[in-house]
Amino acid sequence: MITAERLTKRFGTKTAVDDVSFTVQPGKVTGFLGPNGAGKSTTMRMIVGLDRPTSGAVSVNGSQYTAMRAPLREVGVLLDAKAVHTGRTARNHLRAMAATHGIPSRRVDEVIELTGIGSVARKRAGKFSLGMGQRLGVAAALLGDPQTLILDEPVNGLDPEGVRWVRQFVRHAAGEGRTVLLSSHLMSEMSQTADHVIVLGRGKVLADAPLPDLVRAWTTATVRVRSPRTADLAGILAGPAVEITATEPGLLTVTGLGAARIGDTAAEHGIPLHELTQTTGSLEDAYMALTEQSVEYKTKEIA
Amino acid sequence: MTATVAAPVQVRSGAPDTVHLTFVRVLRSELIKLLTLRSTWWSIIVVAVVSVGLSALIAASIGASAPDLPGAELARQVPTAVIAPIQFTMLLAGALGAIAVTGEYSTGMIRSTLTAQPRRGAILAAKALVVAVVLAVVSLVVFLVALLPVMAILHTAAFPAGDPGHTLQPILFAVLAMAVFAVLGLSFGFILRNGPGAVAATVGLLFVLPIVGAIFPAEGSWGWVHDAAAYLPMSAAQSLTVPAGTDGALSVPVALITLGCWVAAGLLGSWAVLRTRDA
Repeated sequence: MITAERLTKRFGTKTAVDDVSFTVQPGKVTGFLGPNGAGKSTTMRMIVGLDRPTSGAVSVNGSQYTAMRAPLREVGVLLDAKAVHTGRTARNHLRAMAATHGIPSRRVDEVIELTGIGSVARKRAGKFSLGMGQRLGVAAALLGDPQTLILDEPVNGLDPEGVRWVRQFVRHAAGEGRTVLLSSHLMSEMSQTADHVIVLGRGKVLADAPLPDLVRAWTTATVRVRSPRTADLAGILAGPAVEITATEPGLLTVTGLGAARIGDTAAEHGIPLHELTQTTGSLEDAYMALTEQSVEYKTKEIA
Repeated sequence: MTATVAAPVQVRSGAPDTVHLTFVRVLRSELIKLLTLRSTWWSIIVVAVVSVGLSALIAASIGASAPDLPGAELARQVPTAVIAPIQFTMLLAGALGAIAVTGEYSTGMIRSTLTAQPRRGAILAAKALVVAVVLAVVSLVVFLVALLPVMAILHTAAFPAGDPGHTLQPILFAVLAMAVFAVLGLSFGFILRNGPGAVAATVGLLFVLPIVGAIFPAEGSWGWVHDAAAYLPMSAAQSLTVPAGTDGALSVPVALITLGCWVAAGLLGSWAVLRTRDA
């Protein structure tokens, strides 16, 4: 369990993390979302003591990271793939990390095997592709078989097989009761991986909720209706809280009515339906709606 | 809807209880890190080649300029020839110390280092100790190896029967000095976090400032600059390795204290920066 209490970090006049409180529960994958510069990485760095909070505190299983007797056994952290000396081989990097805790070299070989970097383990890390570097970072995080995993953009640069591996791995870890905090920019990936989502924007918590709740609250459910008699159907369905748009001939998009109501109404009037699909919004839609105001580096709408 | 959510059972790490930090383990980690970089081995090779080669040349020049020196006098020249190259190899020692730290900052390795051992004082102590000991061992071996050509060229024994400590003591002090130079380089590395900057600062302190000090006259109202220069790391190291009573040299205790103060100042500065700045 990770507990942040009123965590604040200022760099000069800029407040990167502003009075942030949250808890990350064990047994779940918690997704950490937010635009660039929202404070995700800074928060993660404060959890493991790399950045010192300006005020507030954060603990993992009740202890401050910097006071832990065996930090690698408690927390596995992947902050960025470039936390490795480019002149050292992958295996020697892991050996040096393991040596601090007296982790046997058997475990070093285990994590090499587990992350699939066996073929490059004796190559210098500077020659690694982004994906291999990412796997080496994950291998280092696993050395102490930790009960808490903090992974900043773990799938960044991974091939589809690697992305899938990370997803299955973190799902499995959460299934075992471990605490997993995971940040990613890939919304579709996050929606497949996370149970719970914390959204940061401009250093503040914008949302902290189970993923389905978040999506429901920040998107509108629509129903796609295909029928040869769309004009008749639209007339019957119309109401004060109902919005109907004809996207193309023979196709309606209806907001404000459930699929069941639409189907029943059509049946009552003998209107044939060729398609009736309830679509919920995606995590991406919810995220966009949430962070609209807080995107720091907004791209100009392309005219 | 009310649901009772059972708190998931907290998993214990699968790693055995013996897996935890100790200072000796951190030392081992730092030693692995230092010895698994090619740059370390290149520095050591260059130190060895330059040191032994220069010692042989110096011995040859001593032999040529004073062919008729009595054996006892020649024996006195042995440590001089063996140690003299530290005026150059000290820069490599300093650079090795600096790069041991700045290499971690430039590659991001420091973040891995500080997540494995978040107590920064322990990292500083372990790194300094490892760099100092490695440089001391390398220097000792190099000086002992350099004895062979020097003795051969001067046709003399390294350890004169009447005074065996005569050669050994300057060599041991030179070994100490090399370790000190490496720690000073390491300190600049921690303070500046930038490779070229730390190397330049090390060269400035070890090499340039003594020259600046020597420009000023020993007498007159600016004499204090000249006097102060005797307390620079390189000058203090030289005081330890020249025969006792040499003009302008510090006494052995004063020279040792001076080097100790430089190390303390470097490590304190490093600690202040490491403790307060985010990694």
